[in-house]
Amino acid sequence: MKLLSLILASVIVPAAATTRRHSQPAIPTPVISTISIGVLVLVWFVVTNSGVVSADYLPSPQALISRFWTLLREGYQGESLFGQISASLSRTLGGFVIGGALGVAVGLAAGYSRTVAAVISPVMSFIRPIPPIAFIPMVVLYFGLGETGKIVLITVTAFNYAVVNAQAGAAGTPMAYRRAAATLGLSKWQEFWKVIFPAALPSIFTGLRVALALSWAVVVAAELVGAQSGLGFMINNAALLFDIPTVFIGIALIGLIGLILNTIIEVAESRIVHWRGR
Amino acid sequence: MLQETQKAKIVFDNVRKAYPAVRSGGNQVVAIGELQLAINESEIFSIVGPTGCGKSTALNLIAGFEFPTGGDLALDGAPVIGPGPDRAVVFQHPALYPWFNVLNNVTLGVKSRGVPKDEYMARAHTLLRAVGLAGFEKSYPYQLSGGMQQRVQIARALISNPRVLLMDEPFGALDYQTRIIMQQLLLELWDEFRPTIFFITHDVAEAVFISDRVGVMTRRPGRLKRLVDVPMPKPRTLDMLRQADFTELEHQVLGLIQEELLHLQKPNMAPGT
Repeated sequence: MKLLSLILASVIVPAAATTRRHSQPAIPTPVISTISIGVLVLVWFVVTNSGVVSADYLPSPQALISRFWTLLREGYQGESLFGQISASLSRTLGGFVIGGALGVAVGLAAGYSRTVAAVISPVMSFIRPIPPIAFIPMVVLYFGLGETGKIVLITVTAFNYAVVNAQAGAAGTPMAYRRAAATLGLSKWQEFWKVIFPAALPSIFTGLRVALALSWAVVVAAELVGAQSGLGFMINNAALLFDIPTVFIGIALIGLIGLILNTIIEVAESRIVHWRGR
Repeated sequence: MLQETQKAKIVFDNVRKAYPAVRSGGNQVVAIGELQLAINESEIFSIVGPTGCGKSTALNLIAGFEFPTGGDLALDGAPVIGPGPDRAVVFQHPALYPWFNVLNNVTLGVKSRGVPKDEYMARAHTLLRAVGLAGFEKSYPYQLSGGMQQRVQIARALISNPRVLLMDEPFGALDYQTRIIMQQLLLELWDEFRPTIFFITHDVAEAVFISDRVGVMTRRPGRLKRLVDVPMPKPRTLDMLRQADFTELEHQVLGLIQEELLHLQKPNMAPGT
């Protein structure tokens, strides 16, 4: 019994003696995360190199790295790696900028004016539930396998998600803000630019983040079906040729770029919408 | 600039305000029954009464956010057609725009109406100094305490030199000490600019302290139960609050409100006058 209490004391007393909040773990969280990833990579390395999992299904870390360098040097199917990436990106950003800008403009108008809302509502309610991917065969049919079709598809996708959030943001302007604007003597135009639009910015950014994430996803999907370049094309083509390492690399790049795009919008939002959450 | 006459500035003539029933077949809500009230130029008029008696509704009618369903509401003899900078509003919860700093919030109205910049800037700085916020011009509302935000709201309301200042429980969300400071600040600003003030509050001591007259409203549907004169001279000081005549008036007003509250608690009793 005495031994047990000695052991317990040697654990509890040092733990209590450190001046940390008891809700924090003893090891800092970034360290835990790094260890977690490290363990995963280690397991991956062991599992693939020992032959437990065949290289046809899961390439080893070193195989991926060497394939990545090859891709960087030689490109894929006549196009540099950077070229494949920028093919996907340019389709995404082209459609996103046009669709997003239009969506925000129309959404704000619909949130502010009931007439505009009544005009677009039936059309939007019908289109909204349709997954953008469902439009891919139609786009290939009308526009072929070229750039135009994909940019049209992304524009419609981005528009769809930008409009609903912008509309909610404008329509949801607090009554107190609108009354204050009225007593301050603002004209309708001034109220729109100085009150409604800034009040809607948090919602607008949410809509843009969703629109961009979906635009990127839809571009990859469209490239799987009909394209001669791009990351989606690359992973589809590589899979057909049993070039598994390239498939993995492609997927990793898709994930990484999606993350970067999202981060860019979040940073822009934190700069512009400095009052969010305060 | 209007001459100081005995003609009333704001006149409620048999005003009624009812809201339609939420569901068909339900009852409509009558916020104000028959309100007869005349408020004089440059008067500080407080309105008190049980919750739901229509005080805020009366303010919304003067502000032009809502319109009477019966009777007439006249401002300088003409009906109110909508909100405007001549009737500045100080809301209970500061409706300051978080994307503008303090200075931009205060000058937003006058800037939008084309007042020359040097004119409104000078006035903005004077007002911010008067409310004790000099040096906070570049701060954002979310960086300020509740009391400071209310002071910005007051500066914003006064910058256009409004003839009427409408205040809906402006100090209700503040702590006791800050409330006292704000009451004195209001009296100082009134002394300088002499607007007509329509002031809603639940704090009877506050009402008596700052007002020329206190209107007690009945329970819903709200009517004017009694008008209580506060004849003490201005400027008023804090020690006046302890004097017998003040506490007498407070008791009088409280008693009137309590009569109404009693009827609210026991609705089966025959309604009083």
